[in-house]
Amino acid sequence: MNASPLVDIRGLEKKFDLSGSLLEQISFKNGRFQRKQESVHAINGVSLQVFKGEALCVVGESGCGKSTVARTIMGLLSPTAGEVHYEGKRIDTLEGKALLPYRRKMQMIFQNPYASLNPRMTIQQTLEEPIHFHHPDWSKADVLNKVQEVMQSVGIDPDWGSRFGHEFSGGQRQRIAIARALAVDPEFIVADEPISALDVSIQAQVLNLMMDAQESRNLTYLFITHDLAVVEHFGTRVAVMYLGRVCELAPTKALFATPRHPYTQALLSAIPRLEDGRPNYIRLQGEVPTPVNLPPGCVFHGRCPYANDRCRQEIPELVATDDGGQVACHGVEEGRL
Amino acid sequence: MMTATVSRWARVRDSFLWYSFKRDKIAIISFIVLLAMVLSAIFAPLLAPTDPYDLAQIDIMNSELPPLGMSGADGAFPLGTDAQGRDMLSTILYGTRVSLMIGFGAVILQAVLGILFGLLAGYMGGRVDAILMRIADVQLSFSTLMVAIIVGAVFKASFGSIMFGEIAIYMLIFIIGVAEWPQIARTVRASVLAEKKKEYVDAAKVMGFRTNRIMFRHILPNTLSPIFVIGTVQIANAIISEAALSFLGLGMPETQPSLGSLIKSGFDYIQSGSWWITLLPGLVLVVLVLVINLLGDWLRDVMNPRLYKG
Amino acid sequence: MALLEVKNLDVRFAVRGGDLIALRGISFSLDKGERLGLVGESGAGKSVAAFSILNLIAQPGYIAGGQILFEGKDLAAMSERELRKIRGNRIAMIFQDPMMTLNPVLTIGTQMVEAIKAHRRISTKDARAIAVDKLRKVQIPSPEKRLDQYPHELSGGMRQRVIIAIALLLDPEIIIADEPTTALDVTIQAEIMALLLDLCEQENVALMLITHDLGVVSQVSQRMLVMYSGRIIEQGPTREIINDAQHPYTQGLINALPQMGEPGARLFQIPGAMPSLKNVPSGCPFNPRCSFVTDKCRSTMPEYVRAGNVEVACYEVERLIAQEQQAREVAP
Repeated sequence: MNASPLVDIRGLEKKFDLSGSLLEQISFKNGRFQRKQESVHAINGVSLQVFKGEALCVVGESGCGKSTVARTIMGLLSPTAGEVHYEGKRIDTLEGKALLPYRRKMQMIFQNPYASLNPRMTIQQTLEEPIHFHHPDWSKADVLNKVQEVMQSVGIDPDWGSRFGHEFSGGQRQRIAIARALAVDPEFIVADEPISALDVSIQAQVLNLMMDAQESRNLTYLFITHDLAVVEHFGTRVAVMYLGRVCELAPTKALFATPRHPYTQALLSAIPRLEDGRPNYIRLQGEVPTPVNLPPGCVFHGRCPYANDRCRQEIPELVATDDGGQVACHGVEEGRL
Repeated sequence: MMTATVSRWARVRDSFLWYSFKRDKIAIISFIVLLAMVLSAIFAPLLAPTDPYDLAQIDIMNSELPPLGMSGADGAFPLGTDAQGRDMLSTILYGTRVSLMIGFGAVILQAVLGILFGLLAGYMGGRVDAILMRIADVQLSFSTLMVAIIVGAVFKASFGSIMFGEIAIYMLIFIIGVAEWPQIARTVRASVLAEKKKEYVDAAKVMGFRTNRIMFRHILPNTLSPIFVIGTVQIANAIISEAALSFLGLGMPETQPSLGSLIKSGFDYIQSGSWWITLLPGLVLVVLVLVINLLGDWLRDVMNPRLYKG
Repeated sequence: MALLEVKNLDVRFAVRGGDLIALRGISFSLDKGERLGLVGESGAGKSVAAFSILNLIAQPGYIAGGQILFEGKDLAAMSERELRKIRGNRIAMIFQDPMMTLNPVLTIGTQMVEAIKAHRRISTKDARAIAVDKLRKVQIPSPEKRLDQYPHELSGGMRQRVIIAIALLLDPEIIIADEPTTALDVTIQAEIMALLLDLCEQENVALMLITHDLGVVSQVSQRMLVMYSGRIIEQGPTREIINDAQHPYTQGLINALPQMGEPGARLFQIPGAMPSLKNVPSGCPFNPRCSFVTDKCRSTMPEYVRAGNVEVACYEVERLIAQEQQAREVAP
């Protein structure tokens, strides 16, 4: 892809300090005071580019750092290292007024529709507030029109504006949350597991709604999920994350047809499919290590059936493959796999 | 506009609060008793036969008359009179008024301080939280009595006792309000800590809303139910604190008696058989505090989110 | 005779403003060693069904009618004492959240030994031996060491394995698993599901798997039930239903899965949402969302009809079957 990316994340890192205050860090051991600091390495050097009009899906299991990536891009967390650029401008260092235009261009949809709407505000208030805030010069009628427009576009009857969030079902609340994001006419939407709290028949409704919105409003998505079946359907490209690193990044079709990274292969084989009679999956050894003490070398080596000495020592970088993707795996690079 | 009020009433009528209120006899009785006491306190100047603050209406010859139904009672004074010849019914009505004013006033002051500091501590976290909560701890480690003795002494010394009588009510509101705000601040802080993790707060941040707006418009309304519960109980506590202070002579002067100072003024005559001067205001105080606490208990049960869902 | 036979089970919740019907007349059976999948979205009544089988429905819920015959004896009419002999012993249960079964302040070993001793007169040593054996069966490495660990020292996947080991402790006839893998990651879920499947086959235990995930059901169960709004709307052999669902809701549920759609195209969607128990529509509960709805669907509840090996409650299916029959009669 030659076009310049809409969102460009470079070498993003985020650590969470676990050790608490100074007093809690100091311990007395072997006759000496020691200061011990522990931190969770939620993401370790993630670089991703999101191009206009695409839906980049980030998949991975719990604890892989996918939500941290989303929250760091949106400025809910500040990165420990690395940069976030939007349309070529660095935004992770902006504050206050300078950030406001990006708040309008970038919006977020959350996982839990039961917590993402303020329980003390009516739907009308929830949707009006961001419009008022970002367009202080608009007349009351303009704001009302806008609210009606977004409510209609997500399939919520505008007459229900005076109701509160708890009067709606989960699927309807998620529609309202989407309407709130759309109310400020964003270009880029980060969706953090937007359908995983919903029932199957409702998931389809919300996914369709998001695809319709993408088409009619020319949106770009960063879609965070653990559900690979959804990715196959929804994503333009897929980034697979494991323990805070991207291990494979490829166009969706290529990834599902020929997964290169051993972890991606295992992940794909574990999707429960309607066709097969019995679970038929690639068994991984052991469990995901905690992100507190990261293993040296490739983060996946402890569970990888193909790991060798190099994998245990050297961290693999993303390397381009012939089908347009990138893989971070020594085995693939050396042609062993 | 009419439809809006109708639907609001309908909302109240369909709410769980109203539903459980209707089914709870104790809550209904407590509410009626409290309402009657509050109304009679508000309209005390209209209801009371005499004005106990007006020295011209008092006759020392009428002192220590017993209540109706006892020998020597006077029909003009249904609950008898006190040692200065003031009508007990009137003094109790006015006294309840003073007690309630101090109770509500102190809790309003507590709420303002508590909500402000609790919100700040909970939402800002880190150093702000640590400092504000340590101040609260220090505040709580002084007892209300100690603060009252010190502040009362300073006030009396600097304003003189006549002036002091006029400002005593504000002084008591200030003392009880300042002494007890950490209770509310802690409750608010705890609920803010829970609320600020919820995604609607993140959504507001992503929208670019300023901190003040998020704190007061988004988080505060969601922390109100526990404030309501604790506020109710605090009113009862404030009334008791005031009574205790007045009983010890640190509170309202006898010229503007509260329930506490009425009990105190009658206490010296209990040995001489004039029990009603102490007992009647005491009874009113007990009933007042009891119904407020019962209402507080009921509110706590209703607003407990865990019970609410069941 | 089936191992477990549920007949016309009615479960209600007594709340303000009258009873809510959580289960209306559900009937199904489970044979020895059979694996039955129970599918439905949240609010369909799947968990209520699981809990009521063991007569574990908590207040304000109660069994309003019907029978739950386990080896011919009605669990719904049994005393609490008799029920305790069956729960955990003959019929075991696995919950979604391992911490519903595990006590955080007791070691795994203590809890397992206690569970065995509640049902059998046996020495602690022998009970520990059984516990170790079962932990080995669920492929937990160094099981002797695990006995002295606390639940919080284990990962989510390990905890769920311990739960399965506890369920197997007393060699039950039936295991009821309520969303056993929903809280786990995909790769762990696949492992646990495969393990559960293998164990049930080895030990000839009947499995009743409750889940919202059609993929899991299609991989694990031989027969399946589809629930909607407290009613079983379709039941039959899993493969037949997955390949050729009869009820419009089941069809919609399968077609709404992203893996069934063309990548990038709109997914099939069922409009609306499942009604809450407070306002279930009259007639067929699915009628407001159904594209084949007629006046009859709105007024009366459809009875079950047979389509091949599948039982369906739907007037549209009934009409199609009648049509087919007519065509066959006319043909010769």
